[in-house]
Formats: sequence, C-alpha cells, structure tokens
Amino acid sequence: MRSRDVLRKALRQAAVAAAASLLLGAAVAAEPAAPPHVVQDPHYGDGLFHFFQDHYFSALTSLMVSQHFGRMPHHEDEAEILRGGMLLSYGLHREAGEIFAKLIDKGVKPAVRDRAWFYLAKIRYQRGYVDDALAAVDRIENHLPPALEEERGLLKANLLMAKGDNAGAAQLLGGMTASAGASRYARFNLGVALIRSGDAARGSALLDELGKSPAPNEEYRSLRDRANLALGFAALQGHQPENARGYLERVRLNGMSANKALLGFGWAAAELKNPKQALVPWLELSQRDASDSAVLEARIAVPYAYAELGAYGQSLQRYTEAIEAFTQESKALDESMAAIRAGKLVEGLLERNPGDEMGWFWNIRELPEMPHASHLGTVLAQHEFQEAFKNYRDLQFLSRNLQGWADNLGVFNDMLDNRRKAFADRLPQVRAKAGESGLAGLQQRGDALASEVERVEAEQDTLALADAKQREQLARLALARATLAQAADDPDAQAARDRVRRVEGALTWQLAQQYPDRLWDAKKSIKTITTELAEANRRDTALAQAQRDEPARFEQFATRIPELDQRIKALIPRVAALTGEQQRAVQDLAIAELQRQKERLAVYANQARFAVAQLVDRANAKMDTKTDAGHATQP
Amino acid sequence: MGMFKRWGRFAAALLVAAAISNAWAADAAAPAAPASAPTAEADKKGLDDRIQDVKADVIRLNRDLLVLEEELLFPASTQVAVFVSMDVGKMFSLDSVQVKLDDKIVTNYLYTPLEVDALHRGGVQRVYLGNLRTGEHEIVAFFTGKGPHERDYKRGTTIKFEKGSDPKYIELQIKDSQAKLQPEFEVKVWQ
Repeated sequence: MRSRDVLRKALRQAAVAAAASLLLGAAVAAEPAAPPHVVQDPHYGDGLFHFFQDHYFSALTSLMVSQHFGRMPHHEDEAEILRGGMLLSYGLHREAGEIFAKLIDKGVKPAVRDRAWFYLAKIRYQRGYVDDALAAVDRIENHLPPALEEERGLLKANLLMAKGDNAGAAQLLGGMTASAGASRYARFNLGVALIRSGDAARGSALLDELGKSPAPNEEYRSLRDRANLALGFAALQGHQPENARGYLERVRLNGMSANKALLGFGWAAAELKNPKQALVPWLELSQRDASDSAVLEARIAVPYAYAELGAYGQSLQRYTEAIEAFTQESKALDESMAAIRAGKLVEGLLERNPGDEMGWFWNIRELPEMPHASHLGTVLAQHEFQEAFKNYRDLQFLSRNLQGWADNLGVFNDMLDNRRKAFADRLPQVRAKAGESGLAGLQQRGDALASEVERVEAEQDTLALADAKQREQLARLALARATLAQAADDPDAQAARDRVRRVEGALTWQLAQQYPDRLWDAKKSIKTITTELAEANRRDTALAQAQRDEPARFEQFATRIPELDQRIKALIPRVAALTGEQQRAVQDLAIAELQRQKERLAVYANQARFAVAQLVDRANAKMDTKTDAGHATQP
Repeated sequence: MGMFKRWGRFAAALLVAAAISNAWAADAAAPAAPASAPTAEADKKGLDDRIQDVKADVIRLNRDLLVLEEELLFPASTQVAVFVSMDVGKMFSLDSVQVKLDDKIVTNYLYTPLEVDALHRGGVQRVYLGNLRTGEHEIVAFFTGKGPHERDYKRGTTIKFEKGSDPKYIELQIKDSQAKLQPEFEVKVWQ
C-alpha cells in the first residue's frame, strides 16, 4: 500500500514535470492571440469556447464546419493557425505542417506568419530536422506574443546545442537571461550550455545560483533539484566530494531527484573515507521502491559500506539479502511482463484514467490494478510511453466516435424519409392555397391602379382623387346643373345657377388644394401594394423553387448519407486494426523498460555475488591464516 | 573493494550524463536522428504515419457528418443560432442562462466553472441552435448569477428581430458597465 502511495506521488511529480516541459517545449496547441479577443465572428468564438476547455476535438471539428460554411470571414487565418495547432497536438505533424506552410505562402499578416514559422520550426525539431528547424526559426521576425518569444529563444538554443554549437546557444541564452523576467528554464539551459561549451566555472555558478533560489511552486522546486543534482554529480566526477555533498544536500528528500541525490550523497561520503556517514543516505534509499536503479544500487552500496567499516558479517548478510531481493524482484518483473502481454496494462490504465476527448493535456495519473504495479512508475513517467499511450487512447476515442455516428446515421435516414413525406404531403396544399388567393388577379389590379395613379399625376386629374363626400357633392352639382339647364330663364333660376357655379368653384379650389397630399398618399399606397405583391410573388416563387429544388436536395442527402456510411464502415476496421497494433507497441515499450530493469537487476545481482565471493575468500583466507598460526604454535 | 569504488564512480559518471540529459529532455523532446534511426524506429514511424492518416480521415469525416447534420436539421433558410459571450465580466459571475423564443423556453443552461472561464477568455458559446420561420420574432434571455457584492442577480433582456431566408445569429452579451458599476446585458443581432 505504501509503495502505491509513493508511486502515486511520483506520478504526480512526473505530471508536474511534464507540465513544466509543456511550458517550454511541447505546448503545441497554438494559443490564439493574447486575450481579450475581439471576436468578430461568433462561430470563431464558438471554436475558442471549446478550445479553452481543452475540448480539442469539438473545437477542431466545429471550426472546420464553420470554415466549410464560410462563417468566419474576419478570422480566417487565426482559425487556420488554431486548427494547425490542434492537429499538431494530435500528432498530425504532416497536415499541421502543410497548414502552416500554406499560411506563410499566402502572405498572411506578420503576427500570424511568425506563429506559423514558429510552429513549423517546432514540428521540424520534433521530427529531427534540425537544419530545417533552424532555418524556420530564423525566419521569425518580432511579432510573436511574449510567451512564445521566450519559447522561441529556448527552441533556438536547443537547436544550436543539437548541432553542437554550445557556445552559440550559451550566447543566445545569455542574452535572454539578461532581462529581469527571464525564466528559470532559460537560466538552467544556459548553465548546461556553458558547461557543455567548456565554461564549467560560469555554468556551475549559474546552476548554483538557481540551486539556491527560493522556488514558489513544485515545478520550480523540481527544476532547482535538478540543478543541484547536476552540480552534485559534476562535482563527484571532478573529485570534489565536499562540494558534491553541499550541492546534493540541497535536493529535497521527496522530490523526483531525491533517490539519485541520496545515492550521490553516499558516494561523496564514501569518497571522503567516511563509510559510516555514507550508510545514512544509502540505508534510507535501500528502503525505497526498487523500480529505481538508484535504489537497487543502494542495496549493494549498503553492504559495501559495512565492509568498508570492517563489519563483514553484516556486509555478507546484506549482500545475501540483496541477492534474494533481486531474485524476487526479477520474478515479479517476469509476472508484470506476462500481465502486460495479456493486455492488463492498457485495460487497467484506461479504466483508471478516463477522459471525454482526445486530448493533449490528458495525463496518466493513476496506476492500473496489477500484481506489481510499482514496476510501472518509471515506465509511465516516460514521455515516449505517454505519447504512445495517448495515441492508443485517441484511437479508442475515434472508435467510439465512429460507432456513435454509425448509430446516428440511421436516425438521419429516418428523418430524411419523414421530411420527404411531409414535404410531399404539404407542399401541394400550400401551393393550392397560394393559387386560391388569386395572386395573378391581385397583381393585375395592382398594376392597373399604379397606371391610374400615373395617369392622374400626368394629367393632374384632381377630380380623380376626390373623396367620397366630394364625389357625392360633385354628383349633386351635376344634377343641379342639369335641372337648372331645363329651368326657365327667370331671376330665381339665374340666382340658383350662380350659386351652383360658386359652389363648383369652391369645390374645384378645394380639390386643387388637396391634390398634392392626396397624390402623395396614393403613390405611397401604390408603393406598399407593389412591395407586398413583390413579397407575395417572392414567396410564391420560393415555393415553386422549393417544389423543384427540395426533391433534388432530398436526393442529394439520400446520396450523401450512404456515402458517409461507407466511409464510417471503412474506417471502423482500420481504427480497430491500428488500435491492436498500437496496443502492442505500447506493451512493447513497457516490456522493454521492464526488461532493462531486469538486466539492471542481473548486473547488480552479479556484483553482489562477486562481492559475496570476495568476502567469503577473505574470511577463508583469515581462517587459513588462523589455522596456520594454530598449527605453528602446536608442539 | 577497490573495484567496487571504480564501478561506483562509473555509475556516478553515468548519472551525471543522465542528470543533464534528463534536464535536457524537460526543455523539449530531444531531437531524433532520422538518418541513424534503427529499423524498429522506422517500423514505429510507419505505424505513427498510419495513425496520423486515420486520425486525419476521422476528423474530416466528422466535419462532413456535422455539415450534413446541420444542413439536414437546421437548413440555412430557417436556422437560428443563439450565442453567449462575456466581455470582462468582473461584475457578474454567471450561473445560468434561460432563453425564450416567442415565449417558448428553448434552453436552460447551467454553467460549469470551466465554461465560465472559457467565456472570460474570449470564447463564445453557441447555447442554442434551432429553426424559425421567416417573419418577426422575439427573444428573451434571463441571466442568473452573482452580481456586485456577491448578491444574487437575475436580469433579463429582450429584442425583436426579423428572420429572413438567411441564417440568423443572435449574441447575448454580458458586459461590465464601468460607469454604473453594474453588469449590462445586451443582444446583438448579427445578420
């Protein structure tokens, strides 16, 4: 139980270390421009919404759908670089590389172009193309966001070191560390580069400074431990055991570097001819988990120290115990390898480390239930294993994804059938109703009215715009005029004629005055009628169009659904076959590591047996000497 | 025992190398050497390449399936999408959103802290995707959460909009009003 806890802790620490490395080298998914983002197309924001939750698969596919529909005109390049970054995070180096190269060729704006060069450089570095990566990194101008700017410096320094140009790397990193905000990683790498380029004094001083600085979090504490460990072992190598002790005692007892530090601390004491002091760290270390080579070494270093102290009995006993423990451990390793071959490792890991999506930030956090799960701590902490297992897990996700679609596609088919039926049933009714409304007649009437208004305007026909009351008045006046025409030419009739003329004059005046307003109203009404008729015609045309197009659309769906179904069906066995292959690859990686552990055990066991033989020889020699002395004194 | 010491020293030297190369590995994956890669490595790359191909194919297939799904279920002529976005959002801590279209509740969405964080960082959530016929419609949204001074806060916002034959995108925006020291809720109709 205790060993499981220790391992969980080690895994957590490994995860922190992995997170640290992500910060530097592998935070592959291209972070879009620094927030706050001014999102000009909501669908681009939708992609970001998934992206910021690390739901890369949803982010990627939703961006691709929006690209298909052309819904992100303002963020075309950003969406593409984000897509490239996410593809890269899924290990799709080729396609991501093509995306970045295309963006560069396209002549995108400098900020996007610099990011594209940066990610291209990174891909090339990861694939081992150092010269091409250097060429790409040199194309970057000065438009990277600050976080990537430092990463670019570290990447270039790594590339220079990979080409053996340690002095160049040191110079570059020296420039980077001159600024107050330079990261500890830049300083750490500078220290390493300086030592490698032969300037051990400056390199050591830099690492020493880093090894003494306060560290606010686990990531930095871990880095500090590594600086001290590197310094400690460099001092041991340079025969400076006193200095080595100073460096190594700064390493935390529970960190990832603790075991190596304890071992080195013991060796420093041994070199100082103080085996008693060496026993303290070695005894502690020998109690720890045996999957670490430092622990195995401690198990034979302890009896070595006892022998140095002259405690040969204890030494012999410890060696014998170590040999026994190594034999047991070797057997346990065989059992672990058998369990791995039986598929228990991947099953157990998947069971204990679930996750929704394919994901870059997903990490193995829980060990599987296996007979000797402690062997796997070292295996699981390895980058190569994590990557291989991630690929395996991705394939499992793809398999579920394809299965889900295979089930859904049937539903699409049903839906399409229902649509077809509803359309076939309803459209004729709708069309019939449209026919009943007499749209053509209405259009004719509308046109006639429009022509009439045009005529009224051209002829300034004020009478045509008279209202009902005025029309009645006009009729009465006409009647009165006709009546008066037949009346005798007496003074009363003359007076009545005058009145009629005056009233007619007043009415004409009124009509002439009201004409402009009425004409405007009439024209406005004609405009409304025209618009509404146009809308009604548009709908009618759309209905007619739908009647022609929809069956074609349904046919197109009916063709697409089986085509997609075929693609799903073709992919399912491909994914299944690759899953099997990848499972074997994952298992092989784990077994290879356990095999290495086993070989190490064999070496240590041989060393122990050799030491036991020496001790026995020594005891026999002593006994012989005593016996000889006894014989000599006998009379 | 002299041999032992030499061996120990040898191990120590190995560890120095390990310490440095481990440190190195943390900076970035050590570059592989393609020219000198052993055959096993080449086989593995073959597998890796095939996995890349299959992943790319499945991703493209997903795109095509999602396009089909959208065209089938939410044709452009009737499509309406409602988005939620947050500008700064310091004055309002979002818990949930309710959206009504023409007096009918179309979604009630409860946010996780991760989702709220994604909104803060500039993500825009598509909270609803549906269909509406052409003509005038009304959208009403209620936002529930914590306002200034950790007080329970519920606010509504509404707008009338015209649905034509193109898809309609409506964004519910949560903003901070520095002048009023209050959150503001607005509706933006994209097209």
